[in-house]
Amino acid sequence: MNKLTRIIHIAGRECRILVFKNPIYIFCMVVIPIAVIFFMTSVLSAGQAVDLPVGVVDQDNTATSRQLIRTLDSFQTSHVVGHYANVNDARNAIQRGEIYAFLFIPEGTTGGLSLSRQPKISFYYNSAYMLAGSSTFRDLKTVATLGSAGVGQQKLSAIGKTEHEIRAFLQPISVDLHMVSNPWSNYNIYLSSTLVPGLLMLMIFLISAYSIGTELKFGTSHEWMRMADGDPWVAVIGKMIPQTIVFLLIFYGFEFYIYYVLDFPHPGGVWPILLLGFISVVASQSFGVFIFGLAPSLRMSMTLCCLLAMLGISMAGATYPVFAMDGALQLLSWIFPLRHYYMIYQINIFNGFPLLYAWPYWAMLIVFMMLPLFVMRNIYRAMLVYKYIP
Amino acid sequence: MKFDKLKRIIKEGLHDMSIIWANEMKMTVKDEAVLIFFLLASTIYPFLYSWIYNNEVVREVPVAVVDYSHSAESRKFIRLCNASPDVKVAYHCTSLAEAKDLVGRQKAKGVLYFPSDFDTNICRGEQAHVSVFCDMSLMLTYKAIYQTAQAVSSQMGSEIQLASSTGFTDRDDEVTVRPLEFDEVSIFNPTGGYGSFLLPAVLILVIQQTLLLGIGLAAGTNRENNRYGELIPIDQHYRGLFRIVMGKALCYFMIYALVAAYLTMILPSLFHFPLLGSLRSLIGLMVPYILACIFFGITLSCLVRYRENVMLLVVVTSLPFLFLSGISWPSEGIPAFWKGISWLLPSTFGVKGYIAVNSMGATLQDISQEYFALWAQSLIYFFTSCLFYKVQIDRAIKQEKEDLDTSEVCQDTI
Repeated sequence: MNKLTRIIHIAGRECRILVFKNPIYIFCMVVIPIAVIFFMTSVLSAGQAVDLPVGVVDQDNTATSRQLIRTLDSFQTSHVVGHYANVNDARNAIQRGEIYAFLFIPEGTTGGLSLSRQPKISFYYNSAYMLAGSSTFRDLKTVATLGSAGVGQQKLSAIGKTEHEIRAFLQPISVDLHMVSNPWSNYNIYLSSTLVPGLLMLMIFLISAYSIGTELKFGTSHEWMRMADGDPWVAVIGKMIPQTIVFLLIFYGFEFYIYYVLDFPHPGGVWPILLLGFISVVASQSFGVFIFGLAPSLRMSMTLCCLLAMLGISMAGATYPVFAMDGALQLLSWIFPLRHYYMIYQINIFNGFPLLYAWPYWAMLIVFMMLPLFVMRNIYRAMLVYKYIP
Repeated sequence: MKFDKLKRIIKEGLHDMSIIWANEMKMTVKDEAVLIFFLLASTIYPFLYSWIYNNEVVREVPVAVVDYSHSAESRKFIRLCNASPDVKVAYHCTSLAEAKDLVGRQKAKGVLYFPSDFDTNICRGEQAHVSVFCDMSLMLTYKAIYQTAQAVSSQMGSEIQLASSTGFTDRDDEVTVRPLEFDEVSIFNPTGGYGSFLLPAVLILVIQQTLLLGIGLAAGTNRENNRYGELIPIDQHYRGLFRIVMGKALCYFMIYALVAAYLTMILPSLFHFPLLGSLRSLIGLMVPYILACIFFGITLSCLVRYRENVMLLVVVTSLPFLFLSGISWPSEGIPAFWKGISWLLPSTFGVKGYIAVNSMGATLQDISQEYFALWAQSLIYFFTSCLFYKVQIDRAIKQEKEDLDTSEVCQDTI
C-alpha cells in the first residue's frame, strides 16, 4: 500500500470515530460551534446599547429643567427611569444596579440662567460598567452642551443674529467624524468577528489534541500506527483530514453568515476571507498537534490548549490593544494564532488593505502550520511507548 | 425511642460525611489535573489577566495629520492634540492617500484632516471643519482620538468665542460662551480603566469555571476508576444522599474559601484594582456564590462520562458566560431568551454582586436581589445534585446486588 491509500484508510477510520464511536466529537465540532456563533451574534444583535436606564435628580423643577430631562429621555441610548430626591439616593440606585448614570440639576438653575449667573449642573456616570458608562456619558454630555447652547441661541437671536451666524458662534470648529468601515459603531461587527473565531479556535485546538490523546487513552494507538505503517506523518495527516473538512465547513459557514447574511462590512472582498478561513483552521489544528507533541499526555496538552486559547482571546488585542500592554506581553502576543487572525482580519478584510500589508501575520500563521514538523518524532514515540496516565 | 433513632442517624451521617470529605480531600490532592484547575489555574490565570490589563488606559494613540490649511490655527489644533495624554501626532502627510496607507501599515490608528479653508473660515467667523477618520477595529483607540479632537475643538472654540464676544466685562464674555456650566463625574472607576472594569468580573468567573472543571474532572475520574463506570464506589459509607453531597461540598468549599480570599482580596490589592467592599458584604456575597457554584458543578458533573470531556465542554462557555453577566455588554441589550439562560448561572449574579460590592462599595442590602438569587440557586442546585446522586446510589446498590447474585451463582456452580 502506498502512503495515499494509507492516509485514506486512516481518514475512513477517523470518520467512523467521529460519527459513531464517541458522540462528544459531533457535539464539540458541530453543535457547540453553531451554538457559539448563534449566541454571540444574537446577544450583540442590537449593535449598540439602547435604552440604558438613567436617573434624574431635579431639585430645580422648572419648565427648563424638565425640558432637559425630556431631551435626555428622547435619546436612543438613555431612558430616564427614576427621579430621586437627592444625589445620595441616586448614588444608592447606581449601587443597586438600577441605573447607570444620573443628571443632577440643583435648585436655582433656571433662575441663575436668566440672571446670567452661570449656574452649574452635574452628571454622574458609572465606569465600572464601561460600555454603559461611556454610552450614558455621551448622552449626558450632549444634553448639558445642548442646554448651554440653547440659552446662547436665545440670547443671540434676541440681538438679531442669523441662524448661520449663531451656529458659527456656538461651535466655531466642528469635528466631522468618519468611522471607517463601521459607521454605526456596531458592537456586533466589532466583537463577533474576532471573539467567535477565538472560540472556534479553542475548539479546534482541543479536538486536535483530544483526538490524538484518546488514541492513547483507549489503547488504540498501536492499531493506528500500524495502519500508517509506522509513519507518524501518514497517521496524523490521515487523522486530521476529516476534522479539517468539518472545521472548514463550520468556519466558512460562520464567515458566510456574518459577511453575507448579517452583512458585516468586508471591503477586502471574498478572497482574503476564504484564504484566512483555510489558513486559520489548518494553523489551529497544527497548533493543537504541536501542543500535544510538546506535552504528550491527553490531560496536559488539553490543559495547555485551554490556557493558551483563553489567553489568546485577550492577547489578540481586539478589545484592549496590544500596544498598550507591557513590553513583554507585546512580544508574547506573537505566539497566539488568534492575534494574527485579528490583525489579518482588520487589515485585509475589515479595512480592505492589500494582503501584503499584513504579511508578518500571514507568515506567522504559516509558521504555525509547520509547527508539527518539530514534534512528529515525539508523537510517534508517545504512541508506541507511553501509557495513558489519568 | 424515635429520638434516639434520629440521633443515631445524624451521628452516623456526620461520621460518613467526614469520611467522604476526607476521601475527597485525598483525591483532590492526589489528582494532578484537579489540583491544576483548583489551585494553579485559579491563581495564575487571574494573575496573567491582571498583568495584561494592568496599564488600564490607552495613551498616546498614534495619528497621522493631513494639513492642507498650513495656518497658525491648524498648527495650534495639531499641537494641542499632540499635547493631550491620549493622542500622539506621529506623522505629517501630504495627502489623505498617504495617511490611509499609514493606517494600513498599522503606523497610525486615525487621521486628522484639515481642509484648506480651515483658518479662512475661522477668520471670517464661519464654522470651520476638521475631519477625523478612525480605524474602527479598536473601540478604545477610536474613543481616544475622537474625544481628544472634540476636547481640542471645544477648547479652541471657546477661545474664538471669547475673542469675538461683545460683552462689557470678561465675566460677561465667559457667561455668554458658557451660560450653563457642567461637571462630569465618573462616580465609580474614576480613571475609566479597562482592567478595573473587566478584571473583577473575570475573577468571579474564574471561581465558577475552575470549580466546574475541577468537580467535573474528579467525577470523571471516579467513573473511570469504577469497575462499572458508576459515579460512586460500592462502599458502606456512600449510602446516604446528604452525606455524599455535603461531604463533597465541604471539601470544595474549604479549598475555595481560600482561593476566593486570594482572588477577591489579595490579587486586586496587588495590582491596585478597586477594593471598596467591606469585609462583611464580601463574605456575605462569596459564601452563597461559592456554594451555588459547587452545587451547580456537582449537578453538572453527574453528566460527565470521561474526565477530559469536561474540558471540551466547560472552557468554551467562559466567554459566553462573561457576556451573559451583563458586564461587557449591558444586560438591557441581551435578548430575553439568553437572559433567561443567564439566570441559571451563579456567575451572572456573582459578577453583578461582586462589582457592586467591590467597585462601587455597595452593602449587602444594596445587592439583596443578587444575594437572594444566589441562595436560591444554592438550594435548587443542592436538591438537583441530591436527585442525581439518588439515581447514582440506586444504580450502585443494584450493581452490588447483581454482584452478590453472580458470586452466589458462581459458588453454586463450584
